[in-house]
Amino acid sequence: MPVNIIVCVKQILDPEIPSRDFRVDAEQREAVRGAANLVTNIFCENALETALQLKEKSGGKITVISYGADSTEDALRKALAMKADAAIHILNDGQAHPDPLSVAQVLAAAIRKLGEFDVVMLGRESGDWGVGQTAGLLAEELGVAAVAFVDKVEIGADGLQLKRQTDVGYERVAATMPLVISITNDEHNVPRIPKTRDVMMSFRQPLTKWTLEDLGVNAAEVRAGNHYYAVVDLFIPVQELNCEFVDGDTLEARVEKFAQRIIEVTGSM
Amino acid sequence: MSFTSVDFLEIDALLSEEELLSRKSVRDFVEAEINPLIAECYEEGKFPDHLIPQLGELGVLGANLPEEYGCAGLNNVAYGLIMQELEACDSGIRSFASVQGALCMYPIYAFGNEEQRRKYLKEMAAGRLIGCFGLTEPNFGSNPADMLTKADRVTGGFILNGAKAWITNGSIADVAIVWAKLDGEIRGFLVDKDTRGFSTRLTKHKLSLRASITSELLFEDCLIPEENLLEKSNGLKSPLMCLTQARYGIAWGALGAAMSCYDTALRYSQQRVQFGRPIGGFQLTQEKLVKMVTGISKAQLLCLHLGRKKDTGNLKPVQVSMAKMNNVAMALEVARTSRSILGANGITGEYPIMRHMANLESVYTYEGTHEIHTLIIGQSITGQSAFG
Ligand SMILES: Cc1cc2nc3c(=O)[nH]c(=O)nc-3n(C[C@H](O)[C@H](O)[C@H](O)COP(=O)(O)OP(=O)(O)OC[C@H]3O[C@@H](n4cnc5c(N)ncnc54)[C@H](O)[C@@H]3O)c2cc1C
Repeated sequence: MPVNIIVCVKQILDPEIPSRDFRVDAEQREAVRGAANLVTNIFCENALETALQLKEKSGGKITVISYGADSTEDALRKALAMKADAAIHILNDGQAHPDPLSVAQVLAAAIRKLGEFDVVMLGRESGDWGVGQTAGLLAEELGVAAVAFVDKVEIGADGLQLKRQTDVGYERVAATMPLVISITNDEHNVPRIPKTRDVMMSFRQPLTKWTLEDLGVNAAEVRAGNHYYAVVDLFIPVQELNCEFVDGDTLEARVEKFAQRIIEVTGSM
Repeated sequence: MSFTSVDFLEIDALLSEEELLSRKSVRDFVEAEINPLIAECYEEGKFPDHLIPQLGELGVLGANLPEEYGCAGLNNVAYGLIMQELEACDSGIRSFASVQGALCMYPIYAFGNEEQRRKYLKEMAAGRLIGCFGLTEPNFGSNPADMLTKADRVTGGFILNGAKAWITNGSIADVAIVWAKLDGEIRGFLVDKDTRGFSTRLTKHKLSLRASITSELLFEDCLIPEENLLEKSNGLKSPLMCLTQARYGIAWGALGAAMSCYDTALRYSQQRVQFGRPIGGFQLTQEKLVKMVTGISKAQLLCLHLGRKKDTGNLKPVQVSMAKMNNVAMALEVARTSRSILGANGITGEYPIMRHMANLESVYTYEGTHEIHTLIIGQSITGQSAFG
């Protein structure tokens, strides 16, 4: 049964840069780009890999969508090089970090414009801000079910068989389509390395570009954001290591003092 | 932590996304598949030939040849960056790719007929068929014009006699591109590994390029069918054209080896503490690091410039000589300096530096020795040949 898959990807600052090179602009509440590369968020690549493996078994089509600045085209070219079938770039000419609800509204509008779909896959969160709301909000916008933290997707009897990670272990879920899935990483969905020939081909493939106006969303409202979410402060935490010895005549006295110090330092019981 | 290439001059900004993504693909592949085993392969004197099909699939074999023959059809800068990434791992891996692509697939593409192209190129690009390039002979290295290997015309083909030495991939090759004199003129022949009278002998006890296969090729009355002549090859300039292709890749490759050494030394210098401070804080160490990063940066500009010229079709072989000569000598210097920064650790196989250093001694010599390239450039600027 061919599956019509949409994968949403986000381009972010490379989270792997050495910590000594990482800076934040406290006033703008932004990470400073510096020498860091822009890369596709790793969980989004896990999502694309999951989609590619599903398509290899079931047949179908993979369309990759990204809402982002001009540079986002690179992330989409890479997705094409990994062998996604089509890519759509929705140009974000507004704020650098739109809130997840605005993003979900834009993605939903694009998905509605595309028409039919069976499953939308997203990364469980992005490696820059780590908010992790987009998948759930998108499902809400589309009016379909959402399953989060999925690490394996297979064709089931009348839908998909999903394996999802939970706090205590795994859950197997039978889900009917259409639906939205957020993907987490697992040894089975390590993103493939694109072949050089496919890299070159990806730059010759057409790439659809839509503006917010093309999607018929209220562009001014989307650009202004939903205001439910704000970054109030951004800083690099200072790590302090202190070493303290507790003394006391007996073991009991030392343990007592030790426990007391833990309560004092952490401020809780 | 993974290898990062040097970009002091922000040359990455001059590369297209396609070029950057090709580089990244190969870097990721090298890191995942080859880096974990290369030190052991080197120590054991073993070429990791199980990776050949994967290298083919990745598209690094003959990557700058046209897609209609199953190749990646990349431009020459992307091709150069691939060579850089392979040699940042090990010169032996890059040598394999250079020989397969520039020395074997290229002559079939340039001097072969359509039938030969169709028969070989796709299979070679996929790594299902391996080639080797036989020019050097035991008694003729820098001076291949006087080679003794010869072909004589017989009905239906040619009889080949002679010997080739120092041939990369020789013992694992399915087809050898052999240069021999036919009626006194150097021509290229495709010699199938199963040809009667053709044998190979592994060159042992190498202390350089240990993760690469080097062999002698011996030809005793080998009957080579008529259709195995590379028709358009004529004279010494044909193999030299192949060498220009390969040398271009070597200039980039040497950059990779140098970057790997420098990257290792820079990191080490920031962590290793002596006299109460990181050794990178001493002026003498800084001078070493600065000389290295300057040498690498200049070599990068040279490569990029030649790559862009090659893409527009106006690259001169003598310019490639300059890049091969300069970049390999630079890399060797960087390897030696990096080794000194690592102190005793520098001599171990735990770090890639000593391996690169030993490899680069071969690279310094093959594909035209450093001296021969000096003479080529000298002749070009003075108009006087100093060879003979
Ligand atoms: C690991 C390895 C792999 C190789 N792979 C291949 C291969 O796949 N195919 C192939 O055909 N060959 C291959 N070679 C051979 C290589 O190309 C030759 O070694 C090289 O051309 C030099 O030849 P030679 O070793 O005979 O040195 P020689 O030519 O004997 O040179 C010895 C020294 O004399 C110098 N010299 C020579 N002539 C002059 C001159 N006129 N003026 C000043 N100095 C001079 C040289 O620069 C050198 O320093 C390989 C070599 C090595 C080490």
